[in-house]
Amino acid sequence: MREHQHYLIEREKIDYFIDRGYRIHGITENLSGAFIEFRLKDNKTDEESTEILHIQTPDGRKYFSALLLKQIQTVS
Amino acid sequence: MSSLESSIQKELQKNFTEVIPSLTNQEAFQESQRCLYCYDAPCITACPTGIDIPTFIKKIASGNMKGSAKTIMTANPVGASCSRVCPTEELCEGACVLNHTTKPILIGNLQRYATDWAIKNDQVLFKQGQPNGKKVAIVGGGPAGLSAARELALLGYDVTIYEAESEAGGLDTYGIVSFRLPKSVSLWEVEQVQNLGVTIKTGVKVGEDIPFDEIYSMHDRVILAIGMASVPNLNIPGEQSSGVYDAIELVKKTKAAPFPTELKDKKVVVVGAGNTAIDGATCSVRLGAENVKILYRRSEQEMTAYDFEYEFAKQDGVEFRWLTQPIEILTNKEGKVEGIKCIRMQLLKAAQGERRRTVPVPDSEFIIECDAVIKAIGQKRHLHFIEELGLAHKEGVILINNETMETSNPKVYACGDVIFGKGQGEAMVVSAAQQGKTAAYHMHESLKESYTA
Amino acid sequence: MADLRTNLAGITSPNPFWLASAPPTNSGYQVQRAFEAGWGGAVWKTLGDPILNVSSRYAAVHFNGQRVAGFNNIELITDRPLEVNLKEIYETKKRFPNHAVVASLMVEPNQGAWHEIVKKTEAAGVDGLELNFGCPHGMAERGMGSASGQVPELVMKQTNWAKEAAETPVIVKLTPNITDITATAEAAVQGGADAVSMINTINSLAGVDIDTWLPIPHVGGKGAHGGYCGPAVKPIALNMVSECARNSRINVPISGMGGVSNWQNAIEFMLMGASNVQICTAAMHHGFRIVEDLIDGLSTYLDDRGILSVQDIIGKSVPTFSDWGNLDLNYKVVARINNDVCINCNKCHIACEDTSHQCIDMLNDPSGNAILQVREEDCVGCNLCSIVCPVDGAIDMIQLNHEHPPMTWNERQTLIGSLKDKKVSK
Ligand SMILES: Cc1cc2nc3c(=O)[nH]c(=O)nc-3n(C[C@H](O)[C@H](O)[C@H](O)COP(=O)(O)OP(=O)(O)OC[C@H]3O[C@@H](n4cnc5c(N)ncnc54)[C@H](O)[C@@H]3O)c2cc1C
Ligand SMILES: Cc1cc2nc3c(=O)[nH]c(=O)nc-3n(C[C@H](O)[C@H](O)[C@H](O)COP(=O)(O)O)c2cc1C
Ligand code: SF4
Repeated sequence: MREHQHYLIEREKIDYFIDRGYRIHGITENLSGAFIEFRLKDNKTDEESTEILHIQTPDGRKYFSALLLKQIQTVS
Repeated sequence: MSSLESSIQKELQKNFTEVIPSLTNQEAFQESQRCLYCYDAPCITACPTGIDIPTFIKKIASGNMKGSAKTIMTANPVGASCSRVCPTEELCEGACVLNHTTKPILIGNLQRYATDWAIKNDQVLFKQGQPNGKKVAIVGGGPAGLSAARELALLGYDVTIYEAESEAGGLDTYGIVSFRLPKSVSLWEVEQVQNLGVTIKTGVKVGEDIPFDEIYSMHDRVILAIGMASVPNLNIPGEQSSGVYDAIELVKKTKAAPFPTELKDKKVVVVGAGNTAIDGATCSVRLGAENVKILYRRSEQEMTAYDFEYEFAKQDGVEFRWLTQPIEILTNKEGKVEGIKCIRMQLLKAAQGERRRTVPVPDSEFIIECDAVIKAIGQKRHLHFIEELGLAHKEGVILINNETMETSNPKVYACGDVIFGKGQGEAMVVSAAQQGKTAAYHMHESLKESYTA
Repeated sequence: MADLRTNLAGITSPNPFWLASAPPTNSGYQVQRAFEAGWGGAVWKTLGDPILNVSSRYAAVHFNGQRVAGFNNIELITDRPLEVNLKEIYETKKRFPNHAVVASLMVEPNQGAWHEIVKKTEAAGVDGLELNFGCPHGMAERGMGSASGQVPELVMKQTNWAKEAAETPVIVKLTPNITDITATAEAAVQGGADAVSMINTINSLAGVDIDTWLPIPHVGGKGAHGGYCGPAVKPIALNMVSECARNSRINVPISGMGGVSNWQNAIEFMLMGASNVQICTAAMHHGFRIVEDLIDGLSTYLDDRGILSVQDIIGKSVPTFSDWGNLDLNYKVVARINNDVCINCNKCHIACEDTSHQCIDMLNDPSGNAILQVREEDCVGCNLCSIVCPVDGAIDMIQLNHEHPPMTWNERQTLIGSLKDKKVSK
């Protein structure tokens, strides 16, 4: 698969969680790429659900960095 | 203008645009890198105006285009024209040391590239000198007159050029075909000279519109740079018929639109074999002539046209008839040319050091059918005018001191084609330019004491 | 015409073009010829105990038909007695009082030796001194030149010794044969240097003759490493100048050299912080006359931009030169091929296909003509295709609009780091 295709898929997955209100909670980068930990707090139950995404493409890693910046800016 | 006419004119315009394309940036850069930048380079010596060729090429390589154009134009005030019309293979390029190893540098094309850059970018290359209060008149605004004027203006002289034609530039403007030298290039050089404060009075023929004595008395010195005159007669019957042209007049008509259309689909015969004949012939081809033949009474070896001109004519489909002497122009009832009667010639063994002579072959007359005859057997002299001035001359060639360009009247200098012939100089734009410079320098030497003292 | 006068730590010259310490400045005859030709200054061939040279000294690397892409030498410092050089320096300075005459010096790492040569040289009327801590061959084996120039302590100490005796400005000439030139540049500053100059030559072996199996050049069948200079070293030199210029601890003027061959190169060095430039190889290749176009090209450049003095360009590009971590990760360029200019050599395709990101497709347009097309979404903007393209204007690198706001690597790492902190606190 062409790398750009691969990136589009990763972006879709990231957007999927963001659209559902998940927030980037943590990022671990290592030899395999980046692992994003998404968390979503259920307002009623106060339960927190966690999802982990493995991002492999460089463009994917630039993409979540930009989202993270946005997330931090909207908080403050 | 009808639409047919205008489409014909458009077509002709195309035929008369410059044939050799200019170098692309990349070509120019690569070629400039090939130049060895020789020290004491032979190309400089081979250029009659002594352009510092390696320096201008090195400047193209370093990206200093203005410096490059200035290097050229400093040595040669008509350097843009020269880049197109000089017989470079006999001059700079012929001397290039790379002839011994690979291929000579395309000096002419690089020179054109650099000067084209200056033209396109509207560059001011020179500044007028501090006025020194001395006045000089220059008769004739061709390459020789312009060069003299440029040098004198740099030295601070108050210079006026008197030019008979309505635009200056001489044969560069009127006589050399546009597809080799567009008029705009020559006019740019004229403008460069004007920008230095030189007054150019066009449409003023000295000796007719204004007496020579008048300008002589109004100026400290006079330079004669009147070139040569029209093409001489063939001195054969039928010469006055309609359909007989002067090659230079014909070229002149093609230097700007509208182009003459009377040669379209005609059979043309050109008489002569110098550069004028070639230009007359290639011009006719481009004006739509069906067939063009050059008649020359000697053989290929004696032809005086430059090799590149000859090649060019052959490529244009011009036919050559050697050892052919015209003896009568034949006309129809309306007095229009319908043929030319010729006789075959043969070459005699040359006496030591002389040009081979030709004699007619008895009973060898024949007729070439044609609709037009173009006379191109060189140029006449301004004999009458020169005699009026009382200057020493030999058959219209003004005699000068070869070192100083001074005529028999120490206040009058002469340069360019007006002194060409009888062992003096060569009829080339570049030598006219150099002579103009020389005349200016020596005149300056002779006047310097009078105002520095 | 723009003012070309320059000032390096108090040493003034009519223009920024100096001849570097090397064979062109070997004698008074040469330096005076150079000044007549228009050079603004000269650093005399390094003075010290006269050495012995070998014969067969230079070699050049010619690249694809262009001669002298790089130049290699195994020559040492001056082989003439000090008095002879000083007499000629004195005469030269007398004839050209407004030109910069700087003496390059090299002695053993010994305080007395430095004091002695500094005093003697200054007595001849030089405008300044350049300490040669750079020569990489021969002298280094004797503990001088780059041998001392590679050790920051030695640089500092010797600079200090020279400064103790010197009354004129002291320039320290650095060797590039070191991983981080700012270390020795800083040492020079700490030792009291008034300016630094760089680069001297780079350790090199010009080649091996594959028929005789001998090194190039060889001296009777044996060779030794030499020093490399000329156009090929320019990027290395330019980087070293730039690194020093942007380092706040190296707060002295810089004299830049290494591969300067024309006025454009000189402007590059000056924009990156050099107060003047020194030149050796280009003069050796073409003669002193090259200075005419150096001056003409530079002053036309300044005039065209309405810049009144060459000093106004010094260091103007330094703020644009930074660390990799400060570059915007979201800046994006892509290649665009102009098929009407393209000559279909397909070099871009194969370069990208084999060695980059496989994003140039060989296609046919509707009328069947071969065309090349970049898949912009896969293009990483590496520039390779436009570098291998032989035709001006056939490939443009186009800047795309920012898809994400600008973000540098450093900013990104801080951002991700801040997340971690939060995680830890939870
Ligand atoms: C057809 C042709 C092709 C040529 N091709 C080449 C070529 O390829 N390469 C090359 O190097 N040379 C060529 N030449 C030669 C070149 O054109 C001349 O050598 C050069 O133009 C001479 O310069 P000049 O200034 O002496 O004379 P001209 O160029 O003839 O200029 C003289 C000027 O003086 C003016 N004048 C004359 N009398 C008076 C007067 N009484 N009052 C005021 N003004 C006057 C004229 O109108 C003219 O403008 C060619 C010549 C011709 C005719
Ligand atoms: C043949 C030769 C001899 C040199 N000798 C010296 C020297 O004696 N002292 C010195 O400081 N640098 C010396 N150099 C180095 C030059 O001064 C300069 O630093 C180097 O050549 C880089 O500049 P360039 O690329 O313009 O040649 C020498 C260079 C060459 C080519
Ligand atoms: S340049 Fe040539 S002639 Fe001159 S010293 Fe070197 S080897 Fe000898």
